[in-house]
Amino acid sequence: MKRILVIDDAATVRLYHREILEKAGFVVDEAINGLEALEKLEQAPFDLYLVDVNMPKLDGYGFLRALRQLDVPQAPAIMISTESSASDRHTALVAGANLYILKPIKPEQLLAHVQGLLGEWQD
Amino acid sequence: MGLKKGKPTPATDVPGERQQARDLDGLLLALQAEDPLTRRWAARDLEAYPEAAAALLTQLRSERENSVRQVILTALTGIGNETAIRGLIDCLYLEDVMLRNAAIEVLKELPDQVAPFMGQLLKDSDPDVRIFAVDVLESLRHPRVEEWLIEVISEDPHVNVCATAVDLLGEVGSDQAKVALASLKQRFAEEPYIQFAADLALKRIEADEA
Amino acid sequence: MLNHPRISDEDFQKFREFFYRKTGMLFEDGKRYFVDKRLLERMAATDNETFRGYFTLLRFQASGAELQALINLMTVNETYFFREEYQFQCLVGSMLTEIVTRRTSNKPIRIWSVPSSSGEEPYGIAIYLLEHWPLLRQWDVEIISSDIDTQILKQAKQGLYSDRALQHVPEPLLKKYFQRVGTQYQVRQTLREAVEFTQVNVSDSADMRSHRHFDVIFCRNLLIYFDDISRKKTAESFFDALNPGGFICLGHSEAMSRISPLFDIRRFPEAIVYQKPLEAR
Repeated sequence: MKRILVIDDAATVRLYHREILEKAGFVVDEAINGLEALEKLEQAPFDLYLVDVNMPKLDGYGFLRALRQLDVPQAPAIMISTESSASDRHTALVAGANLYILKPIKPEQLLAHVQGLLGEWQD
Repeated sequence: MGLKKGKPTPATDVPGERQQARDLDGLLLALQAEDPLTRRWAARDLEAYPEAAAALLTQLRSERENSVRQVILTALTGIGNETAIRGLIDCLYLEDVMLRNAAIEVLKELPDQVAPFMGQLLKDSDPDVRIFAVDVLESLRHPRVEEWLIEVISEDPHVNVCATAVDLLGEVGSDQAKVALASLKQRFAEEPYIQFAADLALKRIEADEA
Repeated sequence: MLNHPRISDEDFQKFREFFYRKTGMLFEDGKRYFVDKRLLERMAATDNETFRGYFTLLRFQASGAELQALINLMTVNETYFFREEYQFQCLVGSMLTEIVTRRTSNKPIRIWSVPSSSGEEPYGIAIYLLEHWPLLRQWDVEIISSDIDTQILKQAKQGLYSDRALQHVPEPLLKKYFQRVGTQYQVRQTLREAVEFTQVNVSDSADMRSHRHFDVIFCRNLLIYFDDISRKKTAESFFDALNPGGFICLGHSEAMSRISPLFDIRRFPEAIVYQKPLEAR
C-alpha cells in the first residue's frame, strides 16, 4: 500500500485530504509544517508528498529543497497553493515539486493527480 | 585521557564578534558587518533598544543568512512596538515566501499589538494578505476573533480566504456562527472543500451545545 | 449528578488538534482515557463545568498559564537513570564518532546536560561513556550539568538515589559505580568528581554566555514547559552554545519542528537528533 504524507498547518485541510486518500486505499500520515515532515520522513520515507506552501517554521518550498537534497528514497511531490502567479509556480517546480495545483481541491482531481504521478514515477 | 571535570566558559572568553561597543550606535554598525556571527550577536543585543526596530526591519529584508534572520525576528518579537508591527505587516506583501511566513509567525506572537490593524488587513485588496490576516487571527486572544471570522465567511468573495476562516471557526466558533456557515455552504455549493469544512465546524459547534 | 461533565468525541478531536499545534504532542485514540481524565481534572480545578468553557480559557487566556498547567499534567515527568537510553546509545554509537573524526585538535569534547535535575542524566552519561565508548582512552571528555534550582543542584552533587531511580541500572553497573548508604545508593566519589554542576537559567543571556563551546547538549523535557517565544529564544542560545556540527538532543515529546528552523535534522541508527550546521558559526 502506498504511503502519502499530507503536510499542511490547517487541521481541517489535513483531515479533508486524509479522508479522500484513505477512501482510495492509501495510507496517510500528517505533518503540521515542513520541519515535522522532514522528521517524519527521516523515520520512514513516503511514496508521495502533498505539500502546502505557507506554513510556519519551514514552508513548502523549504521542505522541497531539503527533501531533494536528502539521501533518502525520493518520491513525487504535489505542491498545493492558494497563489496563482506564474512566479510561484516556477519557484515550486524549481524547488522540486512535480506538480503545482491550486486550492480549493476537488476529491476526484486530487486522486487523478496522485494516481497519475505515482504511475509516472514507477515507469 | 578520560572524564575530566569541565569548567564554565570563563568571562574572559568573550565571543570575538562581541568585543566592540555594545551601545546602540555600535550595535547598529555591527548589524551590517560582513561576518554573520557579528550580525547575529548584534541583532540579539538590539532587542534591548526599541528604537532599533526600523534598522532591524531593514536588515531583515536584505539578510541572506538564516540564523541571523531568525534572531532578528526574535528581537522584533521582543520589541513588539508599532514600528515593528507595521514593518512586519509590510512583509506580508513581499514576494519572498520565507519572509512572509516568518512575519506571520511573529505577528501571531503579538496579538494585542496586531489587533488594531486587523480590521484593515481583513479588507485588503490582495486575497493572499487576507489569508495571512486570517492566519494571524488563529493565535489572537481577542474577544472579536469570532466576529471577524463570521464577517469573513459572510462577505469575502474569495473562496480560499473563506476556507481559511472556516478552518478556524471549527475551533472557536459558537452558536452565532451557524447561520453564516449555512449561507457559506450555499454560496460555494460547488466546492467540496467548503462543504466539508463548514460541516465539520457545524458538527463541532453543535457538539458544544449538547 | 445532573451536570456530570464529560468530553465528547468532537471535544476530544478539537482539543487534540489544538494541543498538537501548540506542543507537537499527538494523542492517539488509545490515549483517550488518559487525556479525558486530565482534562476533567483541570476543568474541576478551574471551575469549568463544560469543556467549552475550559477550552475557551485554554485558548484565550492571555498569560497562557492554564495551557502550561495542562502540559505539566500531560507530560508525566519522571527522572531515573538511563531514561530515553536510545539517545545515550546514539551518543556513543554515532555522535561522538562523528565529532572525533572531524576534530582537528585534541581539545576535550564537551557535553552539557541541562536541566541536571537530581543528577541522573549527567551521571548516566558518564557511566555510558565509561562503559560503551572505548575511545575515551584517547580523548578527554568534560561533562557539565546545570539547573536553575540550587536545592536540586545540591542534591545532584550528593548523588544519593533510591531503588526507584536505579531500576534500569544493571546489577554489575550498580556495584561498580554506586555504594550503598543506608537504604539508598550513592554515586561513587570518582564519578561525582567527574561532573561539574553549575547554576544556569537558560533564559538568562549572561548565564548562557558562560556556557559555550559544547559538542553535545542534552536538553530533555525542559522546553516543553516554556511559552513559544522563550522556547525559540532558548533554542537560539543553544545554537550559539554549540560548536559548528554540534548536536542537541530533546525529550521524546519535544520536536524542534515546533521550536526553531535553525538546526538540521540528523537520522542516526539509534535516534533522530538535531545538529548545528557545520558551515554555521
